[in-house]
Amino acid sequence: MAANTTMQTEAHAFAAATIFREARLLDTGEWADWVAMYSEDAVYWVPGWLDEYTTTNDPDTQVSLLYHDARRGLEERIARIESRKSITALPLPRTVHQVSNLEASETGPDEIICHSVFAVHVYDPRVAKEHLRHGRYEHTLRREGSTWKIARKVITLVNDHVPTVLDFYSI
Amino acid sequence: MRSADGKVGAFLNTCRHRGTIVCPFKQGRQKFHVCRYHGWAYDSSGRNISVTEEASGQYPPSFSNQNHDLLPVARLGSYRGFLFASLSADVPPLEDFLGDTRAFLDLIIDQSDSGEVEFVPGASTYTFDANWKLQFENGLDYYHFATTHSSYVDILKKRNTTAGPDAGFTAEPEGEQEGQGSFSFDYGHAVNWSIKRTQLYGRPLGMDPARLDAVRQRVGSTRAKWMLRQRNLTIFPNLQVIDILSAQVRTWRPLAPDKTEMVSHCLAPVGESAAARTLRIRNYEDFFNASGLASSDDNVMYEFCQTGYDATTAAPTQGYLRGVADIGHGESLHTRELGVNPSEWSFGPTSFGGETNFHPGYREWRRLLQHAAGESV
Repeated sequence: MAANTTMQTEAHAFAAATIFREARLLDTGEWADWVAMYSEDAVYWVPGWLDEYTTTNDPDTQVSLLYHDARRGLEERIARIESRKSITALPLPRTVHQVSNLEASETGPDEIICHSVFAVHVYDPRVAKEHLRHGRYEHTLRREGSTWKIARKVITLVNDHVPTVLDFYSI
Repeated sequence: MRSADGKVGAFLNTCRHRGTIVCPFKQGRQKFHVCRYHGWAYDSSGRNISVTEEASGQYPPSFSNQNHDLLPVARLGSYRGFLFASLSADVPPLEDFLGDTRAFLDLIIDQSDSGEVEFVPGASTYTFDANWKLQFENGLDYYHFATTHSSYVDILKKRNTTAGPDAGFTAEPEGEQEGQGSFSFDYGHAVNWSIKRTQLYGRPLGMDPARLDAVRQRVGSTRAKWMLRQRNLTIFPNLQVIDILSAQVRTWRPLAPDKTEMVSHCLAPVGESAAARTLRIRNYEDFFNASGLASSDDNVMYEFCQTGYDATTAAPTQGYLRGVADIGHGESLHTRELGVNPSEWSFGPTSFGGETNFHPGYREWRRLLQHAAGESV
């Protein structure tokens, strides 16, 4: 029991460090470092909503808000913004990610699953308008050799009536 | 809502008693709708079946002679599963209103062996801070694609260097002249279309050669050829149906002169393969909506325009003239192939993005405003 508690405490501390770092890298625009936190075959999924209570549960037969089944999809989104050709990023909104209510559990020797909640404050300097996206994160962290990677991230966006643009930096 | 005998109705969501909304949910299945305020109840055909405590209500005699049913919209019609509602009774019959735009709905619906289309679950709603007519124009605007969406085009070109047969690319038949064009119809509708040898994206119908052959046998090679061409249909005032790398149905609602709400659905032929359906969904998510790699640029561009319009001392914009020097009337090769009779048409090279196809919508908008103001038009 004691050993198990120690293990879970370590898992929690490790998960917190990982998830807070991810939030910081998103807010500071250090996207190369951010995307490097993901494994190459990482799933990045923002389900859609079927009705008032239920999100989509099968990306192959239902429409998601965002769905990438490899890191390459996120890299394409980063390249699009960094090309300075997409006006969604001219200028790029400023964001603050707040993440809390973290629960982490080590589901195996090489896997930690964490649940948390987020509020992302998005400020668009182009029009001096701001909005808030909020919801829940579910991260799956997986050991790859000597490092840990985000193998899966599911973002349940609670307020899905979206103003103008929704991209990886605003959720 | 659908009544017990299967009839589809559309009603104003407002209780006849005090105006409360009767159904607070987006969708569901329910035999009766009971107003939560005082309990008046309606069946699924909109008929009032209970006025709470009517007998002891000391209502005047005239009350029982009044109709208490939910109010239906003024007009409701359907075309092959697409429902159209009007809040005004002063509208033409649906068949006349749609006219030859039906040929373009058919080109999507007939991709299904059973002649049915469905929404893929997972609709999305978003807003942009600009006038609704920016969306109206943009859906008919091929001129903007290469510039507004250049970052998306870069991604597509890079992907296409490694695309396999699963990507669903198809080829135009030998001898087809490349180009882009549009048809303008009555009541403000228009459609633009593209005939290209080198495509930027494949499509679900193209990824399964056996199914494509079956569709070709069923609908003929000419219509099958048009099913594989990009087509952007606008049905005035607030519906766009797009069949490109996926199919989208989007509608809009002006919330203010400078704020518009969009509702977007992925549209699919019933009966396509699981692989084609997944490709359709991925392509749809990739391109459309506030989270897509193309539509998000459009949304911001509308806001750029709306902000630019604050320059009220500027002269009228010059955005409606491209293509004016060469407007076609009567028959053309393309009208004959599709059996349509547009009021105007245009056709140019693959770089062509005419602006004359906005004109019917603006004419209709002006006619409706003048009509509402009591002016003779």
